[in-house]
Amino acid sequence: MNTAPNMITFLSRQTVTAATPMILAGVGELVGELSGVINIGIEGSMLMGCIAAYTVTGVTGHGTAGLLAAMVTGMVMAVIFAAATVWGRADQIVAGTAMDLLGVGLSGMIWMMYQNWRENLGFSTALPHGSGFSPLAIPLLRDIPFVGPAFFEQYLLCYLTICLCVGVWWMLNHTRLGLIIQALGDAPEACHAAGVRVRLGRSMCLLFAGTCAGAAGAYLSIMQTHAFAADMTGGEGFVVLALVIFGRWKLPGLVGGCLFFGLINSLQQTLQTARYTSQNSVLHALTHVPFQFFQMLPYLAAIAALAVMSRNSPGPRYINIPWPSAKT
Amino acid sequence: MMIARIFRQIWNTATALTLAALVCAVVLVLAIGAAALLGYPPLRVADLWLHGAAGSWYSLSSSCADACPLLLTGLAAGVAFRAGVLNIGAQGQFLMGALVAVALSTRMMIFHQPALVIATALTGGALAGGIWGLIAQYLERYRAVPVVLSTILLNFVALYLVAAALQGPLQAVGTAAAQSPEIAGKYWLPLFVPYTDFHIGIILAFMLSVLLWVVQERTVFGFESHVVGLNPDTAKAMKMPVAWRQFQIMFISGGCAGLGGAIQVLGQVHFMTAHMGDYGYAGIAVALLGRLNPLGIILSAVFFGFLDTGAFRVEESSLALPHDLADVIKAVVILVMLVLAGISLRRSRRAAKSERTTSAETPSA
Repeated sequence: MNTAPNMITFLSRQTVTAATPMILAGVGELVGELSGVINIGIEGSMLMGCIAAYTVTGVTGHGTAGLLAAMVTGMVMAVIFAAATVWGRADQIVAGTAMDLLGVGLSGMIWMMYQNWRENLGFSTALPHGSGFSPLAIPLLRDIPFVGPAFFEQYLLCYLTICLCVGVWWMLNHTRLGLIIQALGDAPEACHAAGVRVRLGRSMCLLFAGTCAGAAGAYLSIMQTHAFAADMTGGEGFVVLALVIFGRWKLPGLVGGCLFFGLINSLQQTLQTARYTSQNSVLHALTHVPFQFFQMLPYLAAIAALAVMSRNSPGPRYINIPWPSAKT
Repeated sequence: MMIARIFRQIWNTATALTLAALVCAVVLVLAIGAAALLGYPPLRVADLWLHGAAGSWYSLSSSCADACPLLLTGLAAGVAFRAGVLNIGAQGQFLMGALVAVALSTRMMIFHQPALVIATALTGGALAGGIWGLIAQYLERYRAVPVVLSTILLNFVALYLVAAALQGPLQAVGTAAAQSPEIAGKYWLPLFVPYTDFHIGIILAFMLSVLLWVVQERTVFGFESHVVGLNPDTAKAMKMPVAWRQFQIMFISGGCAGLGGAIQVLGQVHFMTAHMGDYGYAGIAVALLGRLNPLGIILSAVFFGFLDTGAFRVEESSLALPHDLADVIKAVVILVMLVLAGISLRRSRRAAKSERTTSAETPSA
């Protein structure tokens, strides 16, 4: 980490690692918003994914089982949210806040009970050795200078996320299904006239979003950190919401935004430690800045990005308007 | 005529209250049922919960003291939602209010006069919360940033700002933790029943909600802000100052949350850490359960205060049932109330729109 090339390699790899869960949750949220439903509560779904993956991996010893459990949990959260908003016509913003509260409360509760249960049985609450995921290096490709480790020495879920991005981008732009999803959010009455069941379609999009958010949670707990802590998502779900707007409801923009925030996040983490060891006088002067200001940076950057980008980007027209629109 | 109107108002409030009470009862029964399924003895849980929340004068007072910040954040959410300003940032405004109040009562004590210090700390806290809210409203008005997102993001900014201040200029001597020194006893909010937690902040919050009810129901300002919430287009057509009303509402809303933070530190905890509880988020549930009506919010805040205090007592007991169960109950209450009572801002907006079209059609027909 002393020389510049090493620094670039390190930072680029950290950036991709930090951006992956945001991209994953963001792709799901994007599809959901395009279909006309904004889910403020993906933070809660991600937290539930974290705890589900961690406990199931801890009990079974298989990371794959944990990942699957997280995806199913995300789906269950999505079913609740869809039942309230799409079928129950609840306000999406407030219902989303409730989903966030539900995720925070339920994950904290499960975590405390899991700890008690494991300790009563005499087990450790840490993951069994080797059960979490570790990075999967692709031979040869990972030796590419600078960017090799960033893209070819990552967790399994990161490669899957890249495939998912390409797949969803193609689906949205080049298939009938993609057209239908966008029409659900822009002209539901046209969908209705064409024989597409609007509420069913929106529910399916939400299910997809929930699965993605659950998997993103699993990435945080059993891949990136191998640990669980209360509120471990730390607002990442909310930043994702901002990034969907920042990317103007387009997938490439969203991915770009996520990478940018991954970069800011890894930069601030690196700066926090580098300022003490560096000989550079500018960097060294930063030692007087409280570390909380570094932690604040991603959120300030999100607000700034919104302030710059959100003009003249209306987004899907029917966000937060239940179908059928008129009272019947 | 007048009597009939008042009677109808009482009747509406009564049905709303019955509905809310029913939802609460069903959710509570479900929660105790869930505890039973998880292997906790249900009757003992219910017993501990009730006794912890209202078993003695002291526990009754701590429930009310816990309801006080909930009432103020609930008012913050209620006032804002009624005017269509989706302020989800009561948590950040609450923290900023608490921070300023702590600064004014531990570092900058005006003339060292208790009455003056308390008054400035409470006012300063309310102003800080209001100004923190205005940032979000400014970003929406002039930069088209949705208030929902900016308020949430500002919550995190406030959290780190508070942590930085508590480890910097406001840190207590002789500790490494992010913690302020304890406020001197003479600057605490006075108690109106000695040896309990009944402090005058509770009375203040109660009076504020009655005042807000009067403003909402009996003044032009309250009427106009409601119209702005129901349908901004109509409000604009009626020559109402829409943007100005939204700014005012945001300031009042943020001010309520900030005052809640100030009262919490001066009246209840007497020092500050970065972990002040999730009062801001819980306030949304309080407001919805109270159907955005300041008087309803008093009842729902008291209910949630009892819920929280009881949950902490159950956790402290030998049963060790996690108190997060109370958060889960709150979330379920919001979802059920949203669907059952139809507190949908958009729906009322659409209903207003359809009424407008029908009334426009009537004269021509």
